[in-house]
Amino acid sequence: MSLITDLFAHPLDEGYQDAAERRRAAGGPESSGGAPRMSAALMGGMLAFGLLLSIAAVQVRNDRVVVSAERQSLVERIERENAHADDLERTLAAVQSDIVVIEADQLDDLAAGRELRDSMEVMQGSTGAAPVQGPGVVVHVDDADASSQGSTSTVLDIDIQQVVNGLWAAGAEAISVNGQRVTALTAVRSANDVILVNFRPLNPPYEVQAIGDSRTLASRFLEGPGGDWLLAVSEGSGIQFDIRTEKSLNMAGASAVLRVAQPEEES
Amino acid sequence: MIPAIGLLLGIGAGVLLDVEVPLGLQPYLPIAVVAALDAVFGGLRAVMDGVFNDKVFVVSFVANVLIAAFIVFLGDQLGVGAQLSTAVIVVLGIRIFTNVATIRRHLFRA
Repeated sequence: MSLITDLFAHPLDEGYQDAAERRRAAGGPESSGGAPRMSAALMGGMLAFGLLLSIAAVQVRNDRVVVSAERQSLVERIERENAHADDLERTLAAVQSDIVVIEADQLDDLAAGRELRDSMEVMQGSTGAAPVQGPGVVVHVDDADASSQGSTSTVLDIDIQQVVNGLWAAGAEAISVNGQRVTALTAVRSANDVILVNFRPLNPPYEVQAIGDSRTLASRFLEGPGGDWLLAVSEGSGIQFDIRTEKSLNMAGASAVLRVAQPEEES
Repeated sequence: MIPAIGLLLGIGAGVLLDVEVPLGLQPYLPIAVVAALDAVFGGLRAVMDGVFNDKVFVVSFVANVLIAAFIVFLGDQLGVGAQLSTAVIVVLGIRIFTNVATIRRHLFRA
């Protein structure tokens, strides 16, 4: 405390007081004011002060300009790269549709080719590479109401995993989650409280679409492990879900490209 | 009169010369400014009290700036630079406020 008291009691540099006392002892005036020799030192001191002030101000302004310029150039780079990625995606889609047309043309010429094309379409549908459509069910899963408290009241990745697995077990032939087609390479997992499917972040509510026999799919799902899981979490933590049957569902294809694994040579 | 001319000359020189402060010294610039402000208000108060001394003013000005910058530099080396600059600002701020309060009393008698 004595430090702070001292700070308040003697805010003036004690040098001034000492100098005044020395001066008084020498018989002169207390202040050096009016003496002609004060000008040079005082002038120099104030000049240094002004210099310091303006240099600091100029420096801060320059820094701000540099920072905002850097920021601007980063923003421009991001926008440019985004536009470039969009362009590439459009090109990819165009080339893919070209390939489909060319494949169909080539294969239509021969009877064996037509057979090949049919089996390829089946395989592409089941691997998730090609868009498919058909009857099925939609499982709608959503977080609990905000009124019901608890940290477990949001949908977790394991809930979606159980729903997807339950639908496969119930006889689904194609599944997508919020428009993300589930393929052989799809992982359903969470990162930072966000559920990722095909490495794309999804937001609740989650719509799990499944194409399959619409007469039996819903009931078999509810009786199976997926339905059991959903009933348990909806009772335990208030997760909301409902299941409805749809006459026609459309699912986009997903690119399930194998980069490392190669088909084994038939012997 | 002389102090005002010195101040204006200094500001003009700083703006016109467009000095580039070395990167290593930049963190100490604001602290130096606050320390210089403390010396200037101390000098002003000394004028009001009738004990002003130009030598004391210049010496306290230079010493304040250097010591404040040195304390923060030392703190940076020890990893407590931010805390020490806060300490310097608080101490100098208290002194500035107290001195300005005295100046105000001298000027307005209130």
